[in-house]
Amino acid sequence: MKLRLCSRGDLPTCEVRRFELADGRAVALYHLEDGFFATDDLCTHGEASLADGEIEDGRIVCPYHLGAFDIRTGKATDAPCHIPLKTYPVVEIDGELFVEGEKVEG
Amino acid sequence: MNAPHRWLQNNPGLGDGPIPVEPYISPEYYKREQEKIFSKVWLCVGREQELPKAGDYKVKRLDAAKTSVILMRGKDMRIRAFHNACAHRGNTVVTETGEETFGASKAAIVTCRFHGWVYGADGALKLVPQESNFYDCFRKEDNGLAPIHVDTWEGFIFVNVAQTPDATLAEFLGEYAGHFAGFPFDKLSYEFTYRTYLDCNWKVAHDAFAEAYHVETIHAGSFPNAFCGGLENVKLMGPHRTSAVCLTLGATPTAVATLANSLAQGSLVAVRGESMLPPTLNPDHRPNFAFELSVLFPNTLIHVSEGIWFTHQFWPMGHNKTLWEGRYYVAPPTSYSQRWALEHAMTLQRNAWLEDTATMEDTQRAMESGAKPFQNLQDDEILIRHGAHVVDTYVNA
Repeated sequence: MKLRLCSRGDLPTCEVRRFELADGRAVALYHLEDGFFATDDLCTHGEASLADGEIEDGRIVCPYHLGAFDIRTGKATDAPCHIPLKTYPVVEIDGELFVEGEKVEG
Repeated sequence: MNAPHRWLQNNPGLGDGPIPVEPYISPEYYKREQEKIFSKVWLCVGREQELPKAGDYKVKRLDAAKTSVILMRGKDMRIRAFHNACAHRGNTVVTETGEETFGASKAAIVTCRFHGWVYGADGALKLVPQESNFYDCFRKEDNGLAPIHVDTWEGFIFVNVAQTPDATLAEFLGEYAGHFAGFPFDKLSYEFTYRTYLDCNWKVAHDAFAEAYHVETIHAGSFPNAFCGGLENVKLMGPHRTSAVCLTLGATPTAVATLANSLAQGSLVAVRGESMLPPTLNPDHRPNFAFELSVLFPNTLIHVSEGIWFTHQFWPMGHNKTLWEGRYYVAPPTSYSQRWALEHAMTLQRNAWLEDTATMEDTQRAMESGAKPFQNLQDDEILIRHGAHVVDTYVNA
């Protein structure tokens, strides 16, 4: 099941925004020059919302300790972050942006 | 013709005797000023417009109050103030790069670069790396940034580092607040700033700017025949004071000044209108009113005029060391020619301030020689006399 984030016009280029999904996750949606990308919003190092960070050269820089991740791959690029960030494919349908919902176990 | 001793007649309590030099040269007296004045009263530390966005912050060093203050705008758009000291082992949370350090955080947080402790704009300690290694007696909620009392007036930010201030900001400002209420400080937002360290007592710097008697001599180069040497409409308001400085009408401006004044309202040396002035300023509608010269105790001078306002601040760093900051504000230019005219005004003002500050270190050296234990003040130096009186009252309270 696909979960809607927003319309593509809602998020200007080079910006990031946090979305809380119906399945309990919080994701950060990024609008880069080559498209939309999504990752977990919570930093894997501290308890920071990455959507409060700054986008620099395709990386999201965490506001708490200035560690960073590659937005497209989730790879940790700058210390103190070292655990990669989970990424989610973003699907665009008729100008609306979605990520795939988590399957409920059981 | 004004009576030669009119300010004494209006304020006989200040007396007419010489003023001792000791408070300007004594390290001991300065210690008492730190304790009884700079650690107790409201100090003007900036403008709200310096922090326009949520998460914007500025750290200002306050040597005289023995601390540095973080001023930060929260996501609720409120400005709060804190000591720049980490609850962990006391490092500065924001690494300071000078007297004023500016920063911005979209997350509205500051992080100590030593061990990564994170504090919110509300002062709360939000994150401690490896928190579980601390002992049970450590609680994050008890270890936020130490708050400093903060309040605003007409867009100016004030702090008071006392645990419990003796007065609210409104009480402290008293009549002074009403005197300037309504002047469009915010609209005149095009700013230039000069600052320097001076080897002199902060009161030497204050005094040099708190009279117009010096203008015809020291400013003969920058402001020839521009201003009257006396003051008008002197008003003493608790620890604060104000007065009007007037132009010498009929002086011929230089050709370049004439052109600049026709393009923009940037220079003090021009006949001024009154459309922006609250009714308390230039109440007698003197045609030669130049600007209001006021002292907001202890260390801020605010001057206002049609289309211009400017401040001097004197931040003590020792009994004979002072950081001086001069800030000058006009309406933003709307054309290149106005931009040029404002550059002209700025240069003129810079030259005058260089002339002003140039005397201060000489004064301090001569005072420290001990050759002259007293200063002799004339009637139009009433603001200096009042200043000395107020400082001494606080120091001996």
